[in-house]
Amino acid sequence: MITETWDWIARVAEWGAANWSHPGDPDRGVLPRLAEHMRLSYLSILIGLALALPLGLACVRWKRLYPPVLTGVNVLYAVPSIALFFLMLPYTGFSDWTAVVPLALYTLVILLPNVVDGLRQVPDHVRQAAVAMGFGPLRRLVYVETPVAVPVIIAGLRVASVATISMVSVASLVGLGGLGRLILSDGFRRQFDAPIVIGIVLTVLLAFVTDAVLVIARRLLTPWARGSGGGGGLPRRRRRAAVPAGAGAAAGPEAADAERARHPAQTGTTAKERRPWTS
Amino acid sequence: MITFEGASKLYPDGTVAVDDLDLTVETGQTTVFVGPSGSGKTTSLRMVNRMVEPTGGSVLIDGQDVRRRDPAALRRSIGYVIQQAGLFPHRTVRDNIATVPLLLGWGRARARARAAELMELVGLEPSQARRYPHQLSGGQQQRVGVARALAADPPILLMDEPFSAVDPVVRAGLQDELLRLQEELHKTIVFVTHDIDEAVRLGDRIAVFRPGGRLAQYDSPERLLAAPRDAFVESFVGYDRGVRRLSFFPARELSLREDVVFGDDTGAGAATASMRGEPWALVVTGDRVPLGWVGAGQLARVPADTALGSLDLAPYGHTFAVDTDSLRAALDAAVLSPAGRAVGVDADGRVVGVVSQDDLGTALWSVTE
Repeated sequence: MITETWDWIARVAEWGAANWSHPGDPDRGVLPRLAEHMRLSYLSILIGLALALPLGLACVRWKRLYPPVLTGVNVLYAVPSIALFFLMLPYTGFSDWTAVVPLALYTLVILLPNVVDGLRQVPDHVRQAAVAMGFGPLRRLVYVETPVAVPVIIAGLRVASVATISMVSVASLVGLGGLGRLILSDGFRRQFDAPIVIGIVLTVLLAFVTDAVLVIARRLLTPWARGSGGGGGLPRRRRRAAVPAGAGAAAGPEAADAERARHPAQTGTTAKERRPWTS
Repeated sequence: MITFEGASKLYPDGTVAVDDLDLTVETGQTTVFVGPSGSGKTTSLRMVNRMVEPTGGSVLIDGQDVRRRDPAALRRSIGYVIQQAGLFPHRTVRDNIATVPLLLGWGRARARARAAELMELVGLEPSQARRYPHQLSGGQQQRVGVARALAADPPILLMDEPFSAVDPVVRAGLQDELLRLQEELHKTIVFVTHDIDEAVRLGDRIAVFRPGGRLAQYDSPERLLAAPRDAFVESFVGYDRGVRRLSFFPARELSLREDVVFGDDTGAGAATASMRGEPWALVVTGDRVPLGWVGAGQLARVPADTALGSLDLAPYGHTFAVDTDSLRAALDAAVLSPAGRAVGVDADGRVVGVVSQDDLGTALWSVTE
């Protein structure tokens, strides 16, 4: 039994080593898939954050904007990712954007509420003190509320990145998908388990490392919250920070954010079983 | 000088927060707004720096309507201390204190130098400059809050229940500190509290607000305790106002008895002779440090040549400082003493004399009438 398991691991590792990269063909092998996976997921997360920040600031500034925007983002999230990838094809072809645009929009469902909650959770006495010191509304937002929101925003970023890293694989159905292509094309179609295992292991590792980087970033960015618990010194109300991350469930010692989550993309099913928002 | 001229605040839902307030806050004095919740004291305070705009009447600072000034500029010229301190959690103590100087464009070096100055003024260690607020105790946080309010040296300081979130011991310390600061700085302070004791302790003038945002009485603390204008004020200041009012009368006006104080080497017979019917005598050391009380009955039971110091003495309880304490402290010392008498001491703790509850009663009657 032990010998068999060992043989199996050795066989998988051997396949991985043999197929790590092909100097003659830079698009073949495991390494190019990993690079593609990182490119697609990081680009999506960054674009999502770049959208969520101004959108969140606007939603806090103009309160009436938030309910319709949030509903819109939620409805968008309910569209199955596969459908969205195929819908993008006529416009973006087989470029990265076919995967990146839908994935970036999906991150909004986590990032936007976190940005808004983060900005809103500034304690009332702190906000009032800022007013009384003579901060105008804009200065208050930039110098007080946004910095105080950073731990909550990063908490959202952790969930969003783990979810995105996992979901990128689905894009292999439209010929993208990074490590997902190892699983789908090399693995399932050829009834061969080595690429599947390597694809899964690397996806989990990538999620783990990304999460760790975000934890470190949070510590560097918010020295003021250090020593007061894992996620910042403020009482946090992260009603929404828990969304999908099948692969991410194992990601990191501090992956409490992700633990409550499950992931729709891994099984290839649609978004229907995702957690409905009730706030 | 801050003047409220018929200032009112009526909310759209019909709630009257402040109703036609006429009141003048004198420059360089501490004026306390006190009242139960919903009496409009905080709302009135916030009209001064335009955090609340009156719906009727106006608020003037040195004759100028605050509504003619830009809100942000106005607020930077007025110090503000809030309940729970309201410190910015992401900024160090030093940068919290430097907030307003930085907003005024002082430059970082100058603002930080000023912050260091203020930390010393409010009794914070220089080593705390680079800490974050969550690393400080509640009392320390509130000191930072006071330092931050004073940073740009504003002539006016608004304090909105600043000490209500800390425990009583720390609160008393902060109150002392504020009194000391005010002696040094002579700011025009408006202080909001729901605690009448705090009001009496800190205020040069006290404005008592009643529910519905009406001013019930505006007076000096002494007058407020001596002559509450109506039943509401009387019940709000409390039924022990007579005793509390004694805080305003110095103990040095008491005539203390010296003839019942004996050295520990005095004989029992000699002591009895000079006590002339007094039931208790105080025994002191050669340096006049109090040792304890001895009763006349006890003296009668021992041989006349027994030294008082060798007897079993009753504890003298706590003393009062004749030069600095009030009648209230003297009365308290007498009430707690087993002999029913208070021991008055000088600054070095040496006995000046003793006073009985009866004599205190007579004195109280004469001074407070």
